[in-house]
Amino acid sequence: MSESTVRYSPRGRTRAIKSFLCQFLGHGGAQAGLVCLVFFLVLAAAPNTLVGPLQTAINATGDFLVPPSGEHLLGTDEVGRDVLNLVVHGARISLTIALLATVISLVVGTSVGITAGYYGGRVDVWLMRLTDFFFVMPSFVLALVITPVVLEVMGRGGDILGFRPSLFVIIVVIGMTSWAFVARIVRSQTLSLKERTFVDRARVVGSSNIVIMVKHILPNLLPQIAANGALVVAGAIYVETSLSFLGLGDPLQPSWGTLLALAQRAGAASAGAWWDLGAPGVCVLTVSLSFVLIGNALDDTFNPRRRVIP
Amino acid sequence: MPDTADILRLESMQVHFPIQGGLFDRVLGRPAGAVRAVDGIDLNIGRGEIVALVGESGSGKTTVGRVITKLAQPTGGRLLFEGEDMTSVRGSSALRPYRHRVQMIFQDAYQALNPRHTVFDVVAEPLRSLRLVDNASQLADRVSEALAAAGLNPPGDFFARFPHELSGGQRQRVVIAGALAVRPELIVADEPVSMLDVSIRAQILQVLVDLRDKHNMALLFITHDLPLAWSIADRIAVLYLGKLVEIGSADEITFNPRHPYTVALRNATPQIGGNADRGKLPALQGEVPSAARVPRGCRFHPRCPLAFDRCREEEPPAIEVGPQHLSACWRSEC
Amino acid sequence: MTNSSQDNVPLLEVDRLSVDYGLKGVSSRAIDRVSFALRAGEAVGLVGESGSGKTTTAMAIASLLSPNARVNEGEVRYRGKRLPIDDDAAMRPHRWSETSVVFQGAMNALNPVHRILKQIAEPCMLKLGMSRGEATARARELLELVGIPADRGSAYPHELSGGMRQRVMIAMALACRPSIVIGDEPTTALDVITQAQILKLLGELRSRLNLALILITHDLSVVAEACDRVMIMYAGRIVEDGTVADIFAQPKHPYTRLLIDSIPNPASGKRIIRPIPGDPPNLMNRPSGCAFHPRCPSAMAVCVTEVPSFDECGQGRVACHLHRSSQEDKVAVHA
Repeated sequence: MSESTVRYSPRGRTRAIKSFLCQFLGHGGAQAGLVCLVFFLVLAAAPNTLVGPLQTAINATGDFLVPPSGEHLLGTDEVGRDVLNLVVHGARISLTIALLATVISLVVGTSVGITAGYYGGRVDVWLMRLTDFFFVMPSFVLALVITPVVLEVMGRGGDILGFRPSLFVIIVVIGMTSWAFVARIVRSQTLSLKERTFVDRARVVGSSNIVIMVKHILPNLLPQIAANGALVVAGAIYVETSLSFLGLGDPLQPSWGTLLALAQRAGAASAGAWWDLGAPGVCVLTVSLSFVLIGNALDDTFNPRRRVIP
Repeated sequence: MPDTADILRLESMQVHFPIQGGLFDRVLGRPAGAVRAVDGIDLNIGRGEIVALVGESGSGKTTVGRVITKLAQPTGGRLLFEGEDMTSVRGSSALRPYRHRVQMIFQDAYQALNPRHTVFDVVAEPLRSLRLVDNASQLADRVSEALAAAGLNPPGDFFARFPHELSGGQRQRVVIAGALAVRPELIVADEPVSMLDVSIRAQILQVLVDLRDKHNMALLFITHDLPLAWSIADRIAVLYLGKLVEIGSADEITFNPRHPYTVALRNATPQIGGNADRGKLPALQGEVPSAARVPRGCRFHPRCPLAFDRCREEEPPAIEVGPQHLSACWRSEC
Repeated sequence: MTNSSQDNVPLLEVDRLSVDYGLKGVSSRAIDRVSFALRAGEAVGLVGESGSGKTTTAMAIASLLSPNARVNEGEVRYRGKRLPIDDDAAMRPHRWSETSVVFQGAMNALNPVHRILKQIAEPCMLKLGMSRGEATARARELLELVGIPADRGSAYPHELSGGMRQRVMIAMALACRPSIVIGDEPTTALDVITQAQILKLLGELRSRLNLALILITHDLSVVAEACDRVMIMYAGRIVEDGTVADIFAQPKHPYTRLLIDSIPNPASGKRIIRPIPGDPPNLMNRPSGCAFHPRCPSAMAVCVTEVPSFDECGQGRVACHLHRSSQEDKVAVHA
């Protein structure tokens, strides 16, 4: 009998996961959120097949600021680019930025939170001071400080992990400014979890601190991290939009925020070109709303009163 | 009893938890107090011996168990395991040999099991962390063996179950199996049956007594229940407010208690068929004082119906009142 | 209060009461045709393991069943009158004024941000329509009654010890002068010496106020000390009912006997305690016939198939096929 078959015989865990999925998918909010999210993920996955390559001023296909019509479903912008094309390509940039930033935020936040909560004492005090520092740091200021440094080092034309430096900066900045929220939640959960008897038992049977944190505390934090992670994504989309709107985005890889910024600067609002501003705006709203809905649904499902253990 | 027969010895063991004074106290230089949870305990446990530690809540009995299992660090005294001083040994790797020989069973088995770990994970954890097995098949064998010894048969049926899929008695058996898996020489059992149904208690006690009989395992049985202690233990130690007030053989403590607190405890215990000895001493009034404000002199004197002047001034030492029967009471002197 | 015509009517009658719990669309029977009568001033112990239905029985009597519980059949009569236990609104005037409950966890039942005097006065104002002054006076009186100096009424719950808090709970239960007090494991969370004090207090109050007491507990020795009569429950049914003296001297049901045997008793020198084999029954999957048969050392073929009737046997009643012989004709009449 190999160890893995012994440990995860299909019965226990699969049944638990199944019952979790049943509950989660039965939640109205989760259904709405997932439908929206899947729609945008499909857009983000294959923008080229859906709407063709990203249009620029050079290969723009329409006239300036044409209202929605059969040819341009969402109209065109001030240089004649198809708004639908831009929005679909923007989905890819916006979602990638938001998800990567969330990964940074969750990894950093969880590590700091667990360490601070578990060890307590001086470690806790210093880590939480650090957390407070990042908690109050405005993302906009941080972005302004980091951007020139990164551009200086990398040069404007280079790319980091497939991202143009300015997008990379945005990812890092959002990650840096949102982990403090995660760290605080994880720490307070860890504080209560480490008082549980099973942590005492783990110590008595000889498990080291690292093992206790990774095998005992972390799995019990996952529901919290998942539920809050969804909220962090929603927040990240907003922050990304505002940073790009303020001009920190990259015009060559336009996110929804960049599109809004361009439309705003071109005077779309005063020209009555509602489609130019509205399309990316509605996208931002829908995606962040669906993440919030999913987050709340996860929170409800993991609620200890109706706890299922996957 | 020769020294070598003792597997574990506590020498004037002391655990004081400092009370964090407020900012004002600190500014004004007021001394912060301490909760004297355990306040100087001498206790020895022989190989294969079952010692019951009896006390009310707040007596420090759980803290004694936590000191022995190295979950709490004593502030004074020594902890000797087979003559070796373990008091200041810390850290999971340094403690590995000790953990291999001393294990613990907890009161609330539901709390003691990680809800996300299967029964197999739970029982395998000590074997993995103490590096007692070389490969997966050996691990599975040891886990099966431990589950069977704790009375979970057939063991394979339980491997993939989660704690919430077990009954209360089965959960406590899983905790016991986790402790047994390393084949320890001493088990500290902290109220192992108090959360269980009456009909299940005897089954669990049977498992514990069998371990002693078959493997000569020593047991420190922490409980608040005097008749239960009597039924399982060779010796009983009675704890009041962080100090042992009486220690002796189970029969001596039950039928011939010498300390007024032990007598009061026995009289207060409800019994089927009535408590024949009741009435010799008036029932105790009030409740155990806080361990942050231990009375001076004999710590039991404010509630003691037999207290006299000396009790208010001087703390009584443990006085021998019979063979291996000690009582910390000035009244036992005469 | 009592007149001669009421003397013959028991204070409380529970008649073939069955309660089901619905959980995720599956319904399971918590108690099954429970019948008993309670006289004024009587102390009855309701003993059973977890899942035996002892708490459900008591909560049904007090009409404090949880929303997913349903009274399936039977009724509860108080002084001969049927109580609307399944109608929350109709039951409201009866609750606390006829039957009140002392719960196990006093800390959870008390509001941590109010002084205890106020918490005791509250039900007096709501239920008895007292003014604030009258209610406060009544609360002070109640505190003295349960052995707490009235001045301590200004304390908050966390400032009191566990035993004191339990006394406060008792004072609250007595606020509306009920004639039945149900103690739901009232001493389980307490230390031995405090438990003895609380049991003594309950005994004194009982004789002073002519209270009937229903003591729910898993601890037979507590019942032996504090009650006149004991009812043993197993898997939702009462299996034995009799006086404390009878049941402890000569238990008739094998479960009662094993239960008594599983408690160490220094007085009788009984040290080796005999385990009851098996696990307590699962309500979702109740054994056929007599629910105890899988664990019973004297189970017979008939125990597997037939539910034993709950018949008079000597001074008490017992539901066991071993004690049926003389009752054969009676059973036939019922069937």
